[in-house]
Amino acid sequence: MSQEVAFWILSAMAVVGALFAVRLRNLVHGVFSLLVFFAAVAGLFLLLMAEFIAAVQVLVYIGAVGILLLFAIMLTERVTGDDARRVISRGWFWGLLAAIAVFGMLLLPAIRQTDLPKTAQHDVKPSVKQLGKQLMNPYAVTLEVLALLLTAALIGTVANAQGAKPKEEDPK
Amino acid sequence: MNLDLLKDILIATVPLLVIFPSLFAFTTWVERKALARIQNRRGPNRVGIPCTRISLFGLGQPAADGIKMIFKEDIVPRGADRFFHLLAPILALIPAMMVLCFLPLEFPFWNAQIKAMRAFALDSAIVFFFAVTGLGTLAVFMAGWASRNKYSLLGGMRAIAQMISYEIPLVLSAVIIVMLVGSLNAADIVREQRFIWFVFTPWGFTAFVIFFICALAETNRSPFDLPEAESEIVAGYFTEYSGFKFALFFLGEYIAIFAISGLAVTLFLGGGNGPGAGLHPWVPIAWFLAKVCILIALMIWLRGTLPRLRVDQLMSFAWKFLLPLSLLNILITGAALHLLAAVHLHGGGQLDALTDRKVDFNQIIEAGNPWVIGGLWVGSLLILYVAARGLDNLTRSKVRPREYKYAE
Repeated sequence: MSQEVAFWILSAMAVVGALFAVRLRNLVHGVFSLLVFFAAVAGLFLLLMAEFIAAVQVLVYIGAVGILLLFAIMLTERVTGDDARRVISRGWFWGLLAAIAVFGMLLLPAIRQTDLPKTAQHDVKPSVKQLGKQLMNPYAVTLEVLALLLTAALIGTVANAQGAKPKEEDPK
Repeated sequence: MNLDLLKDILIATVPLLVIFPSLFAFTTWVERKALARIQNRRGPNRVGIPCTRISLFGLGQPAADGIKMIFKEDIVPRGADRFFHLLAPILALIPAMMVLCFLPLEFPFWNAQIKAMRAFALDSAIVFFFAVTGLGTLAVFMAGWASRNKYSLLGGMRAIAQMISYEIPLVLSAVIIVMLVGSLNAADIVREQRFIWFVFTPWGFTAFVIFFICALAETNRSPFDLPEAESEIVAGYFTEYSGFKFALFFLGEYIAIFAISGLAVTLFLGGGNGPGAGLHPWVPIAWFLAKVCILIALMIWLRGTLPRLRVDQLMSFAWKFLLPLSLLNILITGAALHLLAAVHLHGGGQLDALTDRKVDFNQIIEAGNPWVIGGLWVGSLLILYVAARGLDNLTRSKVRPREYKYAE
């Protein structure tokens, strides 16, 4: 009973947060409502007893992605964030089409093909230890490749950012 | 909701809500007194028991401050974002309070039927701790942004840059302990330190020093108080705050300090372990709080003695000194653990230490050859010392008087 109530509250928070993230014109307000959405999703994970995933959700999405977005806003000229101009979106039709396509061709088949349990499961507890073992044993190579990719992206970004700056002449 | 659950929740959380805020009040008094002593002043010495002439060394000062804060006018700048301006101090306090629940404090009750309770007995408490502390950064940014003040915004930007830089070595030094214990559970980590606190191992010692420095930076304590540097940007992100909102910021900051000191005590200083810890359920809690208080005293002392860093020094210290050192520390810890395990096996030791739970640190220390362990100890310390000196020389030679690009 109380779980159901928590579920509805968190879902409402997620939906409202996502809606505001799209609709609010002020960039900083948008970022913070996106963070509300992330927090609600973390709460939903907690409700599903996936505590580690909830922690990572908070750590990565609220802690890192949110701060990154704020950083990006601070580096632009419109630090104050208020921008009353209407954003003209020409491609809304294609966007809608893409959204429907993703939902119909990826999500819906995935949901339909997964054998979801019909009753509540109580013993399932994916512990941190299991996750760690999976990451270190069967998926170690994948993890390393991903890490390499991210490092390459990072170095590439830094190189790009530095290449844009004209060389200053050293007086000495 | 049934009544038992409610009772459990109250037992687990009410002591946290009583102990830490009252510790906060006391700490503000201690801090003012200690700083005054360092600066050759007297500090608060007037307020004592109301309506009498008893001053009690000014111990009534926190209460007087609290009353003043409540009745002070709450000023919101005209250009400010009113909602965020209100939300920021609240958001600063919530994560700090929440994080207290992850500390391994089990509150017993006099009634024997009620067992000791902990707020969150999570398997991955350490990860949660870092996840939730990171939220404090958002509140700081929100405050700086919502005030519509140059100094506030500068303070907020400084805070974000500083906090995310120092979070990396902070987490990496906690990883050392997770490697030694093989668990992210705070209670397990404390239990593993029955015989030897991790601060007395070479890796743990290095990690503790890095952790403590980063904890100072994460909580904006001096010498890392750049986000609120009075001589540069008025008061940083809470320039435009007054009255009780300011008090909330202050409270949140101090609770965060208690929380991160509590984590340092959990990870490195043996948690509630100490002489007589088994005698009574309240003794470990007393030990825990005593250790936290010692760390707080150290922080106050540092605040009174060290000058503030410059922004470029701050960044290069985090990225060029602390980060490489903590990475090297992880490498050395891994190598040392493997060596210990190999020697242990070679000497015909039991293997159950290695099978499932990786290396059981305590077991190996107890059964291992003292010469090998001593050699590893000294060797690790030597490598870490040489690395620290080398990194120090590398970065120190680059620190020049600052070049002001735009100011001339």
